[in-house]
Amino acid sequence: MSAINVFQQNPGAEAKAQSPLHHADLASLVGKGRKNAGVTLREKKFLGHLTLRGDGHDPAFAAGVHKALGLELPVALTVVANNEMSLQWMGPDEWLLIVPGGQEFAVEQKLRAALEGLHIQVVNVSGGQSLLELRGPNVREVLMKSTSYDVHPNNFPVGKAVGTVFAKSQLVIRRTAEDTWELVIRRSFADYWWLWLQDASAEYGLSIEA
Amino acid sequence: MSQTYRLASGGRIDRSKVLNFTFNGKTYQGYAGDSLAAALLANGVDIVGRSFKYSRPRGIIAAGTEEPNAILQIGSSEATQIPNVRATQQALYAGLVATSTNGWPNVNNDVMGILGKVGGSMMPPGFYYKTFMYPKSFWMTYEKYIRKAAGLGRAPLQNDPDSYDYMNQHCDVLIVGAGPAGLAAALAAARSGARVILADEQEEFGGSLLDSRETLDGKPAAEWVSSIVKELESLPEVTLLPRATVNGYHDHNFLTIHERLTDHLGDRAPIGQVRHRVHRVRAGRVVLAAGAHERPLVYGNNDVPGNMLAGAVSTYVRRYGVAPGRKLVLSTNNDHAYRAALDWHDAGLQVVAIADARHNPRGSLVEEARAKGIRILTSSAVVEAKGSKHVTGARVAAIDVQAHKVTSPGETLECDLIATSGGYSPIVHLASHLGGRPVWREDILGFVPGDAPQKRVCVGGIHGIYALGDVIADGFEGGVRAATEAGFKATAGTLPKTVARKEEATVALFQVPHDKGTKGPKQFVDQQNDVTAAGIELATREGFESVEHVKRYTALGFGTDQGKLGNINGLAIAARSIGITIPEMGTTMFRPNYTPVTFGAVAGRHCGHLFEPVRFTALHGWHVKNGAEFEDVGQWKRPWYFPKAGEDIHAAVARECKAVRDSVGLLDASTLGKIDIQGPDAREFLNRIYSNAWTKLDVGKARYGLMCKEDGMVFDDGVTACVGDNHFYMTTTTGGAARVLQWLELYHQTEWPEMKVYFTSVTDHWATMTLSGPNSRKLLSALTDDIDLDKDAFPFMTWKEGTVGGVPARVFRISFTGELSYEVNVQANYAMGVLEKIIEAGKQYNLTPYGTETMHVLRAEKGFIIVGQDTDGSMNPDDLNMSWCVGRNKPFSWIGLRGMNREDCLRDNRKQLVGLKPVDPTQWLPEGAQLVFDPKQPIPMDMVGHVTSSYAANSLGYSFAMGVVKGGLKRMGERVFSPQADGSVIEAEIVSSVFFDPKGERQNV
Repeated sequence: MSAINVFQQNPGAEAKAQSPLHHADLASLVGKGRKNAGVTLREKKFLGHLTLRGDGHDPAFAAGVHKALGLELPVALTVVANNEMSLQWMGPDEWLLIVPGGQEFAVEQKLRAALEGLHIQVVNVSGGQSLLELRGPNVREVLMKSTSYDVHPNNFPVGKAVGTVFAKSQLVIRRTAEDTWELVIRRSFADYWWLWLQDASAEYGLSIEA
Repeated sequence: MSQTYRLASGGRIDRSKVLNFTFNGKTYQGYAGDSLAAALLANGVDIVGRSFKYSRPRGIIAAGTEEPNAILQIGSSEATQIPNVRATQQALYAGLVATSTNGWPNVNNDVMGILGKVGGSMMPPGFYYKTFMYPKSFWMTYEKYIRKAAGLGRAPLQNDPDSYDYMNQHCDVLIVGAGPAGLAAALAAARSGARVILADEQEEFGGSLLDSRETLDGKPAAEWVSSIVKELESLPEVTLLPRATVNGYHDHNFLTIHERLTDHLGDRAPIGQVRHRVHRVRAGRVVLAAGAHERPLVYGNNDVPGNMLAGAVSTYVRRYGVAPGRKLVLSTNNDHAYRAALDWHDAGLQVVAIADARHNPRGSLVEEARAKGIRILTSSAVVEAKGSKHVTGARVAAIDVQAHKVTSPGETLECDLIATSGGYSPIVHLASHLGGRPVWREDILGFVPGDAPQKRVCVGGIHGIYALGDVIADGFEGGVRAATEAGFKATAGTLPKTVARKEEATVALFQVPHDKGTKGPKQFVDQQNDVTAAGIELATREGFESVEHVKRYTALGFGTDQGKLGNINGLAIAARSIGITIPEMGTTMFRPNYTPVTFGAVAGRHCGHLFEPVRFTALHGWHVKNGAEFEDVGQWKRPWYFPKAGEDIHAAVARECKAVRDSVGLLDASTLGKIDIQGPDAREFLNRIYSNAWTKLDVGKARYGLMCKEDGMVFDDGVTACVGDNHFYMTTTTGGAARVLQWLELYHQTEWPEMKVYFTSVTDHWATMTLSGPNSRKLLSALTDDIDLDKDAFPFMTWKEGTVGGVPARVFRISFTGELSYEVNVQANYAMGVLEKIIEAGKQYNLTPYGTETMHVLRAEKGFIIVGQDTDGSMNPDDLNMSWCVGRNKPFSWIGLRGMNREDCLRDNRKQLVGLKPVDPTQWLPEGAQLVFDPKQPIPMDMVGHVTSSYAANSLGYSFAMGVVKGGLKRMGERVFSPQADGSVIEAEIVSSVFFDPKGERQNV
């Protein structure tokens, strides 16, 4: 056996799969919200999520990551993206890589090959978290109700990403476009976030997208 | 006849919108734009409550937040009851229902009035301390009576239907107060491009300008207000918050604002709207433009309805078009208050006289009054109001302010309204919340904010600037300064022109002398708490000389009042009584909140289903569908047991236990903490974190481990598997998951940063289904074709990788029941599909889902501990009879080694974990019950331990327990006794804690 156990955990597209918000049956809510809703929510489900840890100060690490992903290591509090792939700084030695669903095993192998000999960790966390995309003119107000972090554009430009307190728990907030934000949520908290976001956006109107 | 005291014209009210409302059950009418107080006064309602100690009738005194008497209960339905609403701050709406909170049972004809007169003399200051404390056991009886009589209002008995929330705000400049100073400051700061929040507690911005006689640029001041508000509204970085009270000033310029979004619309928020919102503001700079409160003079019977602040009279006349009387007498010591008389006169009402305490006032406003023919009595004051339920006259007499003496018998002037002004008190509450003591300024006869380390600027009345032109200039300059300090470039602006006036100094008069001294009529200082001048003097005579003692002894400034009207007068009276100056007396502490905040606003959205996050596993839907009862474990909902029709918990658990022992059961173990550990030093790291050794654990194997804190006490446990040479998969307790990950990171980052190892939580990534029981192998074999389940190929305490139900899985052969068990881990998105296949395949084996209760029973039968139930942070591995799990010969030290070898940890009579078998097998030892060796000894008995886990329903057929007993491991076979509260005694035998399959034959098959 090798030093690290890496294995294909994804059974493929045929297997029955349930996202963290499966029980909310978001598909059935599409088109039922207020017209011109201030907030539009979409679950970006079944993506490949990998936690990457390593020494960001080591040029060999940055070069290896770039070789494997074609992405520069993002600096503190930012997220970089390349087509369907995004890489986010999570801490001084930690990054979150999100890839299209089903690619996580291949990408992990590619990363491990490119970083051979370095002390790193790659962990598949795809089952444990999900992305919620929030779009619309009132997303900022919903975020202001939820987090004490300053989400004003002066302090939170497009491309910024922070892990922070949100209501009574924590999650990651990413700003991906002018009026588009993403929340990286943990599976077990998904229902809490779903209830919280419905409540916080009620006064602005919430619509759901598949 | 309705609204008899409404003036024919004037006021910022909409006379086309008539609003009906009720007060104490009677219906009245007012207009849109009225405050509830204004509408009550328009209808001639003069008694709004009864004082809590003396039960005297009380009327409206003020027009704003400083009102001490008109504190009402609002709400048309049970669910929408709000206590302690100041009528002066409540906007009138159609259908408003208000009742007096004070004056049980009736404000006009109060039974307690008679009691009160007796009670009054029975209730001197210090009454609570002196009387009700003795005898102590009577306090409960007294309290009920006092609470009811004190009229604190009442909470609703039904759930509030409305929604309340928080909003987190960040700004460069927060301006508190939107009067002339605040508006000017906001304008200056906002024009610089800074993020500005302007908050004001009133219905609309403008503050004193809303009822001012003053002009700005030759136009009514209110027009200037609307032009400024319009400009502010057009600036994108400006947030305007009317109906929003800045209630607390906390560290690092964190301020809380209580915004009432819909209180002016009804007692229920319109659908979809939030009723109150608490803004939690982090401000770069704070501009305090809170202004000042007018101070009443303290004279005899000054609490009889019909006594009112001079400024409030102007507000009612000019802002609401209401005359709170017909014939006015004004008692003042300053120029400003003359405005009330002039406004009254301009409204066509009769000013009987102005009593001015000064010898020869000649200020511009004084001369204006003289020119209008108003009678002015100098060196005089109202010494006593006449009338019982309403003012019928005012006795005005000449006084000597210095000597504190009445120098003439005076005359009684017939009137129905006495306006009073004793000068102005800057509103220093917010400026003092962080402990900065206010500083006395003799020139303005008021306390102003002292120096403070906060990044804040004071403008206008709060630091003693009162002339309108100066106030606006000061506000603008303060706004410029705040924006500049916050890093913005502020530009100069033109300020509106004001009318210059000659103004003379205020004379220092607080308590008006009375010819009978303290034997004269009561002179109230704090009407909300019924504190009189005589009461304060009594307090000082009894030796209470510190301002904080005087406050507590008399209740001056207690409760919702926060000393807004009475504070300075009380200090002045105490100071004179002791013979010291006011600054020597000093002020009491000011604390948040400035005004009462509803509980709804405090709770925000953190109530009902959003009270706390609830965590669910990927299999939760199945549990719900199959009738699980749930148990809270940390934030998780875990299936507790799965009752079938007609089963109670005992029956269900007994059935589930039997199914596991006889065939196979299924447990959702997804909530266990799971940590992926990688790196060349991972193995050595485990050696140091766990109490046992990990050096020789081969790839493919798993081991149980104990974690201790530095003191050697157990704090978590779990099974960790070696999945690769440099790769481990750690499990923790459900409740300990986050704690353990933090513990690993803490030690890695602070103690052993040189070790090459990383940790990542995978708790949510893997869903875990435990198959446990003699048929688990047969069941699993139907679900996998690539895992060799042979007992030698896949022995106990090893793991394999393969597919289960077509999904890639890691399967661990570990057991928490003592049975043959497999823990199947799959990526959580696919867990439901795998579960369904397991259930289907399990039908032939009577596969039985079980919950945490059965899990607890089965593990206890095996003597397996639960950290946090059988341990309490004071038990080391030896105490738990788990010395086998301590690697005493590990090459490097490890956490807990030194701690557990302290002398105290090596005593042989420490409490040790043992099995307890009730002598009567049907008796159940309550968990937590204390144990003794001799039940016949006198109380207090020598307690030797307690029960930690105890189960009546189980697979053994008799009740059993685990517990700790002093030296218990050497007392096998001895008896302990558990005396119960009902006098009975349960006798138990000390036995091994392993009740079931002591040789472990069932899990090793």
